[in-house]
Amino acid sequence: MNNTVSFALLHFAFCFTLVSFTPISALELHGTGANMVETTCQKTPFYNLCISALKSDPRSSGANVAGLAQIGTDKLKAKATATLRQITALLKVAKDPKLKMALRDCADYYNAIVKYDIPVAVEAVTKGDPKFGVEGATDAANEADACGRGFKNQPKFPIYASNKVVHDLSAVVASIVQLLL
Amino acid sequence: MVDTRPFLPVSSHAGSDPTGPSENRRKPMKLQLSIFFVLLTVGFFAALLTSNNGSDNGFVKENEHGSLASPSSEKQLRPVSRGPAVGVSEKSNRFFAKDNENQLAYPWNNSMLSWQRTAFHFQPEKNWMNDPNGPLFYKGWYHFFYQYNPHAAVWGDIVWGHAVSKDLIHWLHLPLAMVADQWYDKNGVWTGSATILPDGKVVMLYTGSTTENVQVQNLAYPADHSDPLLINWVKYSGNPVLVPPPGILDKDFRDPTTAWLTSEGKWRITIGSKINKTGIALVYDTKDFINYELLDGVLHAVPGTGMWECVDFFPVSKTEENGLDTSVNGPSVKHVVKASLDDDRHDYYSIGTYHEKNGTWIPDEPKIDVGIGLRYDYGIYYAAKTFYDQNKNRRVLWGWIGESDSEAADMQKGWASVQSIPRTILFDKKIGTHLLQWPVEEIESLRLKSYEFNQVKVQAGSVVPLDVGPATQLDIIAEFEIDKEALEKTTGSNVTFSCSSSGGTIERGALGPFGLLVLADDSLSEQTPVYFYIAKGSDGKLKTFFCNDQSRSSVASDVNKRIYGNLVPVLEGEKLSLRVLVDHSIVESFAQGGRTVITSRVYPTKAIYGAAKLFLFNNATEASVSASLRIWQMNSAFIRPYPNNKESQ
Repeated sequence: MNNTVSFALLHFAFCFTLVSFTPISALELHGTGANMVETTCQKTPFYNLCISALKSDPRSSGANVAGLAQIGTDKLKAKATATLRQITALLKVAKDPKLKMALRDCADYYNAIVKYDIPVAVEAVTKGDPKFGVEGATDAANEADACGRGFKNQPKFPIYASNKVVHDLSAVVASIVQLLL
Repeated sequence: MVDTRPFLPVSSHAGSDPTGPSENRRKPMKLQLSIFFVLLTVGFFAALLTSNNGSDNGFVKENEHGSLASPSSEKQLRPVSRGPAVGVSEKSNRFFAKDNENQLAYPWNNSMLSWQRTAFHFQPEKNWMNDPNGPLFYKGWYHFFYQYNPHAAVWGDIVWGHAVSKDLIHWLHLPLAMVADQWYDKNGVWTGSATILPDGKVVMLYTGSTTENVQVQNLAYPADHSDPLLINWVKYSGNPVLVPPPGILDKDFRDPTTAWLTSEGKWRITIGSKINKTGIALVYDTKDFINYELLDGVLHAVPGTGMWECVDFFPVSKTEENGLDTSVNGPSVKHVVKASLDDDRHDYYSIGTYHEKNGTWIPDEPKIDVGIGLRYDYGIYYAAKTFYDQNKNRRVLWGWIGESDSEAADMQKGWASVQSIPRTILFDKKIGTHLLQWPVEEIESLRLKSYEFNQVKVQAGSVVPLDVGPATQLDIIAEFEIDKEALEKTTGSNVTFSCSSSGGTIERGALGPFGLLVLADDSLSEQTPVYFYIAKGSDGKLKTFFCNDQSRSSVASDVNKRIYGNLVPVLEGEKLSLRVLVDHSIVESFAQGGRTVITSRVYPTKAIYGAAKLFLFNNATEASVSASLRIWQMNSAFIRPYPNNKESQ
């Protein structure tokens, strides 16, 4: 009985340690997860944003480029959806007609991003025809840019920062998907 | 002494351990427990080291003034743009135009958008289309299949659309031929090709993206070979017939070609792929289209070209003016290898020699090998595929023409992409390195009223209107002669010219640019020049370029504004010749009988409907040109669903 017990204990300890050690060995096999994120982000136009966007997702450690592309697209989707909600909320309270018009245009652009550009990018990356993903992400960046230009002659640009993030993150995602070609 | 049984369940056996020296029992227990705690501690540290330290502090914070909270060295908000050298799809460069600083994405209205639909180019009634698939002639009908998204005007959910025609011009839509209903094509019924067997039966090989997103090759065939419309298709029960071989990644294995016979009586196909950044074409032999043997080595490989999509392989006659069945081989035959490069979204071809014994192909001119030399088309043109038309003994080329406007506009108008007018392919005997492409002759059946202009003189720096009535559906054949004296007198220079890096038609040279302005309004605020530019080298040699300038094609800022084009070989004694098909938002231009071809998409806001006009222009500084033209109004092809579509299969 004692032998069984000690065996069970050892077995338990062994398994526990194995599980704890596995991340390290996995890192050794793939090149560290952190390295993959860094080398990938170096190939994008917005390194810092890329690093923080990817690393904030635990899946990024140990992910390959396709995995990072998917994480990037998920982040982009979240950010774009949140920005669209922001625009809709602002539209409800906006009084100035010029502001309303600019916001409405942005709502159209963001609809295109959320409804079309991002799903196309996701599908292209998962199914392995990345060129459509590059196109979708690039288009998203261009839509965000178009939204921004609508505010060029406006005194206030309430969604400046989130719009910039969507634009820059789209460019980052486009660069990452480009690596899959 | 340590309690050695803290984790053990209370057991009635606890007190009835087998006898033995208690000291002996305690020592192994102590050892095991120590090992356990050591491992536990190590494991704990290991877990600590690998845990994610980052908190979600990545995104910049907004303050109430809307400026960024954290300073960064990153670039200002600006359009995404990368040079052509990086090989990004042209769509990404559309904001590169010089004059868009203060312009918004254009507020397209329905009138402008509905004008964009073509009258005689193949396109489905709505939604997204891409690659041509499995074209063939069967029992009196030309069949055309295509990548189609039934749900949206962007790529996704791809299935096979289908249409038939008697003449490659008047198409009738049929029901979808194949949908994503099997595990092996659930994530995409992708591109494939047809092979007609000696007994007249048809087999189709196509790529499926499986439920696990692996690219595999599948076999399908008509459900009823006696149905000339080939409406229903059956997928072979043992699919897939090919999976990615060792060394090839799951997502680098697609677009099988038409099969051709080997001297051993086997069928041979090729499938594009890549190894790292080397584009390759794999070769398989089969007797039954079910069991395959991968050949050692590849048909061909070119480093640095990336993934080869939609590979095509076919013979051309060196001497005859007709097409050849894909299985033809012999001394008077050359073979063409073509690949669609994923990296830059262009179709490249090269002419060379096929070595049947080991299934390899060598280019005649390695400098213009596949992917680094000649393109079918210097504009928007991709995923092209040929088939041998046994009806008229010609080789016919299909090519996918995507949009170059914004995806938002595509969504608004509810459709995206057209196909080029099918083109015959011939070996250019006079040049030897080029193929000649020409719209199939059946397009002439659309010609209505014609206009003829003879020797119209266009002085340097002038524009001549051509009164042809409505100018949105035209077939134009033109010849230009440049003032010989100017040709000789002009001093040459070492300056290199290229269409894409030039300033377009506003950049004046001594001997060019000159040509046509299509889809132009009266005030020329919108215009699409299709033109020649002759450059004289310091050695006195002339080089002729053929270009299409979109920089002023539309006042809208969210459309492609690039200048397309390339060198076009012009032989001694040849006049400069041009054919242009204008069909609303697509312009297909052929120089020197199809030696250099440019297709572009044009989205004017003003030069539409009755306001679209046609002009001759000459913006050279020294030479005058004289032009002779024949221009036809073109009828619609009335592409529509096959009548009585609701009949049962």
